[in-house]
Amino acid sequence: MHTPSGNSHQGTVPSTPQEVVRHGLERMTSAGPLFRGTVIVLGALFALGIVGFIIRASQGFDDRLPWGYYAAVFGYFLTTAQSAPMVAIALRAVKAGWRRPVARVAEMWTVVGVLNLLWFLPIMALVPTIEGRRSLWVTRPIGAPHAWDLLVVLFLAVCGLGLLYTSALPDLAAVREKGSGFRQRFARTLSSFWRGTRLQWNVLYGGIALLGTFYAMLLVFGHALLSTDVAMSMVPGWKDAIFPAFHALSGLQSAVAVVIVTLFVLRTWGGYKEQIHVDQFWGLSKLLLAFSLLWFYFWFSGFITFWYGRAPTEQVLLRYLYFESYRLPFLMAFFLNFVAPIFLVLLWNPFRKSILGPTLAAAFILVGTLFDRIRIYVAAFSAGDPFADALEHVPAAHLPGVPDILIVVGGLAGAVLMYMLAVRLIPVMAWWELKEGLLLRRVRPFLRRHMTVVAKPD
Amino acid sequence: MAKRSVLGLFKDADSAANGVDALKGLGISPMDYDILTGMPYPDGAFGEPHTQHKLFVFPLVGAICGLAVAILVTAGTQLSYPMVTGGKPILSVPAMAIISYEATLLGAILFTVLGIIFESRLPRMQLGLYDPRITEGYIGLAVSCDERLLGTTEEALKGAGAEEVKHN
Amino acid sequence: MQERVELSHRQINQELLAANLKGPRWWWLLVPALVLVVMGAASAAGYMYNRGLGVTGLNRPIFWGIFIVNFVFWIGISHAGVMLSAILRLSHAEWRRPATRAAELLTVFSLMTAAMFPGIIHPGRPWRIYWTFPFDFSRGIWPDVRSALIWDPSAIFTYLTGSTLFVIIALIPDMAVLRDRTTGVKHVIYRFLSLGWRGTPRQWKLQIVAGILLSALLLPVFVSVHSIVSWDFGMAVSVEGWHATIFAPYFVIGAVLSGVAAVVTMMALMRWAFHWEHYIRPEHFDALGRLLIAIALGWFFFFSLEFMFGLYSLEGPEVSLRQMQMFQMPWGALFITFITTAFFIPITLWQFKRVRRNILLMFLISILVNIGMWLERFLIVVPGLMRKQPLTFVWGGYTPSPVEITLVVASFIFVALMVLLFAKVFPLIPLFDIKEGQVLKDEVQVGRVRVPAVMREE
Repeated sequence: MHTPSGNSHQGTVPSTPQEVVRHGLERMTSAGPLFRGTVIVLGALFALGIVGFIIRASQGFDDRLPWGYYAAVFGYFLTTAQSAPMVAIALRAVKAGWRRPVARVAEMWTVVGVLNLLWFLPIMALVPTIEGRRSLWVTRPIGAPHAWDLLVVLFLAVCGLGLLYTSALPDLAAVREKGSGFRQRFARTLSSFWRGTRLQWNVLYGGIALLGTFYAMLLVFGHALLSTDVAMSMVPGWKDAIFPAFHALSGLQSAVAVVIVTLFVLRTWGGYKEQIHVDQFWGLSKLLLAFSLLWFYFWFSGFITFWYGRAPTEQVLLRYLYFESYRLPFLMAFFLNFVAPIFLVLLWNPFRKSILGPTLAAAFILVGTLFDRIRIYVAAFSAGDPFADALEHVPAAHLPGVPDILIVVGGLAGAVLMYMLAVRLIPVMAWWELKEGLLLRRVRPFLRRHMTVVAKPD
Repeated sequence: MAKRSVLGLFKDADSAANGVDALKGLGISPMDYDILTGMPYPDGAFGEPHTQHKLFVFPLVGAICGLAVAILVTAGTQLSYPMVTGGKPILSVPAMAIISYEATLLGAILFTVLGIIFESRLPRMQLGLYDPRITEGYIGLAVSCDERLLGTTEEALKGAGAEEVKHN
Repeated sequence: MQERVELSHRQINQELLAANLKGPRWWWLLVPALVLVVMGAASAAGYMYNRGLGVTGLNRPIFWGIFIVNFVFWIGISHAGVMLSAILRLSHAEWRRPATRAAELLTVFSLMTAAMFPGIIHPGRPWRIYWTFPFDFSRGIWPDVRSALIWDPSAIFTYLTGSTLFVIIALIPDMAVLRDRTTGVKHVIYRFLSLGWRGTPRQWKLQIVAGILLSALLLPVFVSVHSIVSWDFGMAVSVEGWHATIFAPYFVIGAVLSGVAAVVTMMALMRWAFHWEHYIRPEHFDALGRLLIAIALGWFFFFSLEFMFGLYSLEGPEVSLRQMQMFQMPWGALFITFITTAFFIPITLWQFKRVRRNILLMFLISILVNIGMWLERFLIVVPGLMRKQPLTFVWGGYTPSPVEITLVVASFIFVALMVLLFAKVFPLIPLFDIKEGQVLKDEVQVGRVRVPAVMREE
């Protein structure tokens, strides 16, 4: 299907730059009862989450055991929302043509970085000093680990917002010109200097590439550091070099999953049916398949080394983290992050090349990752004395109480709420990238059929 | 009626596509002609029907065979020589999984290769009507037609722009 | 910038088959010389079989020396082929076309070479190598599948079989081109090898699907092979520095780094030796350079984790090992050479586009990377065994003997010889892939600029 101008309809309609902006503005401003209802429900749940937090806080910060689920939500935000921009960064780096309707949807999740920064503050009070226990901070710099960890979470949030702002600048300028009301005022404040000169575009391209690189490096480093400081180092005897990499890899898997589910929601209920096509789901499903296989690979690489070694310390850890205390979350994570997405959905071509298939797999993964983060962080907070050399027996699992459930549900609701509010202010589609796509993509006749022609400028 | 083979050689892809149109005009079934090229053209570029194949079944069958053999061999060798090593159980599933994984993929690969050859209708003992210029950029249209249609087919191919038409 | 050259099919045939149909004069001088060297090395191996492993530098406690280092190194090089070829095929990267077969060949020949080390050189009694397979029913003794040393041959056998078949399948259409350009005995041989290929749409479709399907099947094998090689070390609890959960991905990414660097080496040599300036162009080295930046950064992340988790628990023996590796001569000098040549020098130079597009520089840097990566394996294998454990009663050192050095050096000559022999009989660049690239290239007019584009079936 192609327009008279020869532009493909795949993922890039409306087919003129003006239509792109007009349609985008229309979607930004129209808020139906479904949207409003969802915002109210999420707001209420978030408020309940705050109640749960207050209950926990009223019990003090001396005993870290009750805070396990709170920490798990921090790990979950890091793994999902804060990792989601990696999809935009990677796809832009390889100049994938089908990324255009995906990139902003992914990087918009950086707004949750602010929530996670606030969420991290109480955790600082719960992580013990590194003196006398295992730690990545071998040379013990001043403030380690608390100040340095906080700095990483802060930089990640700031860098994410910077990336989002830079990438959204031309679109905010469009809102400044064509929008109205508070949206226009907001856009004018942020994009008053943008005129779209050659120099500004060059700076924009360079800025996105640079900030993307910084964000990627910070994120991977952050996964390694935070997962070690807030989780692994608190379990006596747990020395597992692949764990930080597993945590980061799980972040990449969940990042793709978050983006797929968001695309599905935007397509089904957000009015973006014309922009988001099966191409986007197909492209992302291939990545999801690769990351799901790698999820198993990273897990197995760690597991087989401990299992084979038969060292008593490591055997206790296996029992604690996988086979006894936290068996249920582990089995759920194993099934939902690996077995179900791959064998039920992604292995099969017709499912992989559909809209519902990848969404189902992504939903499995998001739930599985929540179980996995609960397994990791709750286990870390309930392992007993972090200054001991090794676990001498298998500690019991810590089950959630009502405040924990409120915190988990409220936290998740808060993150989604932030995203939903952000899309009212910042276009959730990168209009300028869609417009660029219109210029660089054609459908042309080739002998007796039509072919898509994709141009890739340097 | 005896079948005859005709080969039309076209210097460029456009005239070859015209040749296919001409054959369709004569009512020749897609089963009775083949386009011979020296490089892969996109599916349906000459107006030919899309190729259907069942290649994806082959790796699946191969994987199942490989997995079955691996489980049999790894379980069998451990049970046949039941010696405890390194404190591991006699039937060590993680260790078996590693060899089974390799065997599953080996089975899938071997069957895929067989499938490729089978589905490509290879090996073919006789080339039939063919011209070495096909691997030099020419496009061949190999037609199998009734003897009475030989002249008409040759004319159609020439009319479409064939540089040379030969038959057996 | 894509430098595009208009080439007719006839010209492509003439230029890419020149080595097969006529053969450069230097080939007839070089190949006999290489054969002589390999025969000399075979004599050294014969001497070793006759006298036993005592003629090597291996002794208590170091029973794995440069034979095993070289085994790991060549397994690493073999990872270039499938990784590069498969990932570039799956992602439809245009610049893959001249690189895929060279990369796949490197896989096959380096894997063959790698397998020789544990298979027929290192065991001392190579005639009993069949004991690793469940064979010889009369003995009633079966290989222990719980041993990592049994996992290894199963992985290498699968990888070697798969990658060889991968190369053969892609060679069939090119065999038909040679069949059509030869006479006499050569024609008969090529006719047999081309299996009666005619180039029908069905055959081409299957050829394309085969490339993608086999790539997808070989990728998981490629990951598993080096992981399993790493477990030869990682499963050993008693050797300091080896029992690390990170080893599998760390080995894999290291293999990819050295393997892709080896592809650069090979492509530069192919361009110079066969004057394939039209096919192997600076843009290909630029793309490989960019890819290498990403791979090198990934490798450094895993290297850092491996190193930091060595120090993580602050256990005496582990810290002593790291101190020895870094500060004790000659290990310290080797360590500095390794880290600078494998990472710091290349990553710095690859940042510059002028360097990435300079073939001589890229060639030299690729050699540097592989010097570093060989040393990396040496520093993993030997110092760990030297320290072994506190109660070790022999604290011997290790100096490779002339026999070992001869066999290791000859392994490089052997791979070069095999590639040259292959180049005489088969084309080193897939002809049909280049021809397809010529037909599918296009341009898109944007304002006054014509942007290079490619046609795609979407």
